[in-house]
Amino acid sequence: MSLILRTTLPDFDYLLPSSLDELLALKAKYGERAAVIAGGTVLLNLIRLGFRYDYVIDIKGVRELSAIEYREGKGLVIGAAVTLRDLENNEVVRDKYRVLWDAVRQIGDFHLRNRATIGGNICNPTLQADTIAPLAVLGASIEISSMRGSRRVAIWELVKEGGGLLLDPDEILTRIYIPEPPKGSRGAYFKVWWIAGIAALAANIDNPRERIVRIAYSFAPSPKLVEGVERIFRQEKPLKVLIGDAINYIKTIVTPPSDARASREYREHLVEFGTAYLLRKLLGVEV
Amino acid sequence: MRISLTVNGVKRVVDVKPNERLLDVLRYRLGIKSVRAGCLVGDCGICTVIVDGKLVKSCLVLAAEANGSNIVTVEGLSTNMRPSPVQRAFVESFGYQCGYCTPAFVLTAHWITENMVNASDEEIARVLNSVVCRCTGYKQIVDSVKLALKWRREGGER
Repeated sequence: MSLILRTTLPDFDYLLPSSLDELLALKAKYGERAAVIAGGTVLLNLIRLGFRYDYVIDIKGVRELSAIEYREGKGLVIGAAVTLRDLENNEVVRDKYRVLWDAVRQIGDFHLRNRATIGGNICNPTLQADTIAPLAVLGASIEISSMRGSRRVAIWELVKEGGGLLLDPDEILTRIYIPEPPKGSRGAYFKVWWIAGIAALAANIDNPRERIVRIAYSFAPSPKLVEGVERIFRQEKPLKVLIGDAINYIKTIVTPPSDARASREYREHLVEFGTAYLLRKLLGVEV
Repeated sequence: MRISLTVNGVKRVVDVKPNERLLDVLRYRLGIKSVRAGCLVGDCGICTVIVDGKLVKSCLVLAAEANGSNIVTVEGLSTNMRPSPVQRAFVESFGYQCGYCTPAFVLTAHWITENMVNASDEEIARVLNSVVCRCTGYKQIVDSVKLALKWRREGGER
């Protein structure tokens, strides 16, 4: 990888398939020699930083990948090429999938969200994929397609421990499936630049036996869903006490990375602060 | 490859390379000098243009991706060398210093007046946040946008 930043991009061919079959055939043919472009806000920077591809395949010509569909009781299906702006402007996302909406609104900036897509965000976890944590607390799964067929995996399985995607060279992320959220659920996302992102979802707050509390962390390169938080919140103790218990538990599980953007110690501080902030906000607990 | 763009209402057919950014095609092949390079990584927003009604940073768009689209730059705002109300609002409120980021801010302000006539201060800031002014004259820029919105709400140009 060259460290000299170029103003012009190195050579590649641009391909614009107009159907899913055509897209998958191209990806099968060129594999790792081909990069997929949706919004391009990450890819063009990676190419500039030294990643080399012979082909750039634009998935925006495949219309079905730009669709958002909601069916009452079934949930939401989001195409990989749906822009963050479209999600931000979608009333269902805003009202029912608040944690995702809140995260999307904090990604990049207004102009970038007109181009950046959810598929691109998910597939670039090295830069902190801010949509993965909210999708995890919502229990989302993703559809991965190739000419060999389609498979569905939990969003959580996409990023391997230590980074890297589960995708084979001929595979493309095509859709995101989010089930109907728990009734009356609230959600919020806490973000500090490219240092930390925390998603939290809560429902049935007043009834300990049915209380739902889920928390996930968007750390690069591998995000983390903390399991077992729900068990803590099912206890009959004051919420304030439970929040403290949850944070102590989370601190034993979440081990944030140290990198050029922030030290591990600072991220640990943000985990504690951000988790407390979100839980108090969602559970209606005063400091 | 050959692409066709409608730039400020005029159809332009141009040969581009697959790896060329929309920014470079607009500036160097079509001679539209209001479109400027800044950081080239999508941070600064200086290269902002309006593509099919949306504000985008043209450094992170391949020209090939923009094939068939309708593009508006600052050159498209004025008519017969008469500045648009948004441009005049920037003059009136001193919404510029060195001028390098001005086309990007004027286009962003133009989009706001077209799409968010009743924008709150917070909403204005959320959109303007995409463009960086190194002279840091943000107060005057925000004032310019507010003045343009006021003129727009009160019905046309002053």
